[in-house]
Amino acid sequence: MDRRKALKRTGLLAGATVIAPSLFSLLQSCKDEKRLDWNPEFFSKKEALTIASIIDMVLPRTETPGGLDVKSDIFIDKVVANTYDEKGQENLRNQIAEFNKKCQNDFGANFYELNETDKKKVLEEQEKTSGKFSPGVWGTTVGDQEPIGFYRSMKSMAIWAYTTSEEVGEKILSYDPIPGGYESCKPLSEVGNKWSL
Amino acid sequence: MANYNIDAKKDMTYDAIVIGSGISGGWAAKELCEKGLKTLVLERGNIVEHVVDYPTMHLDPWDMDYRGGLTPEQKKKHYKNIRSGWVGQDTEHFWADDEANPYTEVKPFLWLRGHQMGGKSLLWGKQTYRWSDLDFEANAKDGHGIDWPIRYKDIEPWYSYVEKFAGISGESLGLPQLPDSHFLPPMELNCVEKHVKGRIEKDFPGRHMIIGRVAHLTQPHNGRGQCQYRNRCSRGCPYGAYFSSNAVTLPPANATGNLTIRPYSIVQSVIYDDKKGKATGVRIIDAETNEDIEYSAKIIFVNASTLSTTQILMNSVSNRFENGLGNDSGELGHNLMDHTYRVGAMGKVNGFDDKYYKGRRPNGIYIPRYWNVDEQTKSDKFVRGFGFQGGGYRGGNAANTESFGADFKDNMLKPGPWEFFITGFAECLPYHDNKISLNKEVLDKWGQPTLSIDAEFKENEKALNKQIQEDAVEMLEKAGLKDVLGFDNEHPPGYGVHEMGTARMGKDSKTAVLNEFNQVHGAKNVFVTDGACMTSSSCVNPSLTYMALTARAADHAVSELKKRNI
Repeated sequence: MDRRKALKRTGLLAGATVIAPSLFSLLQSCKDEKRLDWNPEFFSKKEALTIASIIDMVLPRTETPGGLDVKSDIFIDKVVANTYDEKGQENLRNQIAEFNKKCQNDFGANFYELNETDKKKVLEEQEKTSGKFSPGVWGTTVGDQEPIGFYRSMKSMAIWAYTTSEEVGEKILSYDPIPGGYESCKPLSEVGNKWSL
Repeated sequence: MANYNIDAKKDMTYDAIVIGSGISGGWAAKELCEKGLKTLVLERGNIVEHVVDYPTMHLDPWDMDYRGGLTPEQKKKHYKNIRSGWVGQDTEHFWADDEANPYTEVKPFLWLRGHQMGGKSLLWGKQTYRWSDLDFEANAKDGHGIDWPIRYKDIEPWYSYVEKFAGISGESLGLPQLPDSHFLPPMELNCVEKHVKGRIEKDFPGRHMIIGRVAHLTQPHNGRGQCQYRNRCSRGCPYGAYFSSNAVTLPPANATGNLTIRPYSIVQSVIYDDKKGKATGVRIIDAETNEDIEYSAKIIFVNASTLSTTQILMNSVSNRFENGLGNDSGELGHNLMDHTYRVGAMGKVNGFDDKYYKGRRPNGIYIPRYWNVDEQTKSDKFVRGFGFQGGGYRGGNAANTESFGADFKDNMLKPGPWEFFITGFAECLPYHDNKISLNKEVLDKWGQPTLSIDAEFKENEKALNKQIQEDAVEMLEKAGLKDVLGFDNEHPPGYGVHEMGTARMGKDSKTAVLNEFNQVHGAKNVFVTDGACMTSSSCVNPSLTYMALTARAADHAVSELKKRNI
């Protein structure tokens, strides 16, 4: 089912009789159904669902589009399929499998099959334990870089996929492809969101 | 703009041949063509016509398949280049093919090349500074290397000459160690940079922070447009707002009608006539057909880029020069230098949360050298010195924030914290044993010997780097920055992309390859005016000096030609 249509419908229903949990599960099942609507180039269905679930937890739809609204999952699949070498692809596969295995051990199901509360618990733990990116200067990391775990890498990719999507880059972030000059000290209130480019 | 004349078939003889079309080759072509010489420019790669051949200049991230990412094939093709962190989907076509053009790192060395018309002038950082007598006298004073055959007064008029044409924006400071150029209006520091500048200049008398002096136009100049603050320079600038051969020197060379530029021309050697005691032409391999072709000329400018220039001279053997053209001294290939790179400090700046900027300024700050500039600033740990580049911006990495979900997403769309960094560039001494040599075991795609590069930073550079990091941390902490992080990536030479030396200038053919006008000792009609000619490395970005030396050498060449001295 088309998600926008689904939201409209459930919105109507919510106004009448449906209570929140069932609204959530309705959306959830709808979302999963939608995931079947595209054919990943690289990911298996299970892997694609895992990535999509992480993206949706990190960048949910609010007043602004969510990560899935701008097809971040489809883009990440395309990037992994076309810019990773075989070793990198294999490594990512293993990481996704490990991540799901941990979810199974801790909560009895793959990440995308968990309820919202358990998903949150998984990611909260990941946030505490996953390595962080060292800062960079001119395109290269400075200082030592600790190992970045699967979750932080995927979160970073999701952010990248989201902020470089046309919809977010042109309409949500402040977009100015040809600034024409430099305003060195501009009130933030006159810009709004950060520059997309 | 008229198309370039690339038909080098009907004419095999020219007044002048210029090998390479990068920053120095472009200047040589312009000067020689404007002085009336029929000039053939031999370019190893393809034609890149200004604007027409900048395929990515307007692309937003979402216009590119992988939004900047490279495919495994591209990564393989650029397996060395990508170590720089500069190569992306937007500029990939301007970086040389590492697989077709291999080199051997006896010790780690990153050799970045641009094999197309314009060379690395399309990709360079545009930081543009005059050298001073602190640099030209350095070797003579502390005894490292050999003395430069020129002083500031010899090159000063040529700095003026090239600056007025190229268009350099910046701020005058009146410092003897960093002479002022003829400036277009400077770009602006942002509010955090102004703040840090104030603190550093107050706490550290003798240290200055200025906006970078750059080859970017801040107002229209010689028919070129001013910078639009897109910061997409390396894709080629549709406004011609930064200096590249493609936008600045080759169009006027072409307009004279005297220019022929031959693409896909790999120079194998310069042909030396033992009887005449001078060079008579250049031997090339057509990169597409593998055909060997010889062109003749009265004057030859070798501007293939530092290491490639020396490679050509090494390959140019004759009875007179068994060990490479002009190599009476045995110094050809030696004294390779680069600036140290990516050592400094960064931190966060509090208190400017309601401030931002508009425009992507392709420039940052510069802190001129302040060590060993006089008796008071003399170090007992090292000779020479360093300068800093850097800048302030709103950055941060949202992925590191320990949160996710709706609030996280909304926050992520706002500008991150103010950050500020400085990174030093230290002078490297000329060491005889930092060298390149011809490698006949490893051949390139065209069966030509390649280079082995054997160079390293030594004790003096390490001491300079230690001081850079200490000073950087101290300055940023005193300026009130938070979470100050010092760093030293311990990059080997090459990462600075300021490779210099290997065919140095000097007064004497016993110790140098070139004379005071960049003429090859023993082959006075051959000129080398790219980075290969440098006798020391200063800590200051070298490109402006290549431009000035080239214009000066071209003037001398034509004058000597008229006098029939060459």
